[in-house]
Amino acid sequence: MKDIMRIKCLISTEMESILNQQIRKEAQSSSIYLAMASWCDRNGFDGSSVYFFKQADEERQHQLKFFKYVLDMGATAISPDVSGIKIEYNSFREVFEDALDQEISVTQSIKNIASLCHKEQDYVTMEFLNWFLKEQREEEYKARRALELFEVIGEEGAGRWQIDKHVGDIKYDSEA
Amino acid sequence: MQAIQTITHTLNITEVFKTASGTIFQSDSENCWYIDFAGKLNRFDYRCLQKLRKAVYHIDIEGLLMNTNRSADMEIVFICACDHTYILTTLEIIALKELLQGTFTMLELNHIIHDRLYRGAL
Repeated sequence: MKDIMRIKCLISTEMESILNQQIRKEAQSSSIYLAMASWCDRNGFDGSSVYFFKQADEERQHQLKFFKYVLDMGATAISPDVSGIKIEYNSFREVFEDALDQEISVTQSIKNIASLCHKEQDYVTMEFLNWFLKEQREEEYKARRALELFEVIGEEGAGRWQIDKHVGDIKYDSEA
Repeated sequence: MQAIQTITHTLNITEVFKTASGTIFQSDSENCWYIDFAGKLNRFDYRCLQKLRKAVYHIDIEGLLMNTNRSADMEIVFICACDHTYILTTLEIIALKELLQGTFTMLELNHIIHDRLYRGAL
């Protein structure tokens, strides 16, 4: 009897489902960053607004990478509906705290996919995921560094203005 | 039964899984499956079979059993972009779910056999 399931699709149903969850998560991240960009812009933090617009674009690109991968493997990629995005923040600092939380959550969900890859011995998806694991190092580093600016510069006086000015300068250039 | 045997012979299909209420066959030449259930024989391609599985697995059987409404004990299993629709009672849904679960287990087993015995040897 022919193995039609395998001929039609490279990944398992469980893998398809978890990758679609990740597509949703990346879309949600993009929307959250867009809401943060909006809040920063409305409150006069132009530098941070630009920074979050860029982050929103990156998350959208991540979403599309997952989306295309699922389709390339012969599975069904589902365009997610995203709702319930927080639009108001209590403080400038809270925006960056939420951004770091979001990145930690994304890293965790990618680790969960990697765990399933090992369980199923799906090395094709694992190889695809390697790029994201490396990307998360950068994303978490940037989010953590941004939050650390609040400690290093301080929020008093022109502190928040300085933080806003320096957020865009955060770079991750590790060769490791 | 005679009709099914004739069809099996004519279409050159292999039985994948069988229960008291139905049978699922695979056609290697057409890359599809035939489901003999609820008095009809329907042809499903890869996409439609996946959709059928999703639709049936998502039915809240416990909810249907606990439902005390005086409405008809029927559920419509409609699959988008597929030629077939099932109108089933709760017991038939349980039977179809059992049939599909068994079938997908057999297909998974077939995949493992292909991987271990054939693909490894190529």
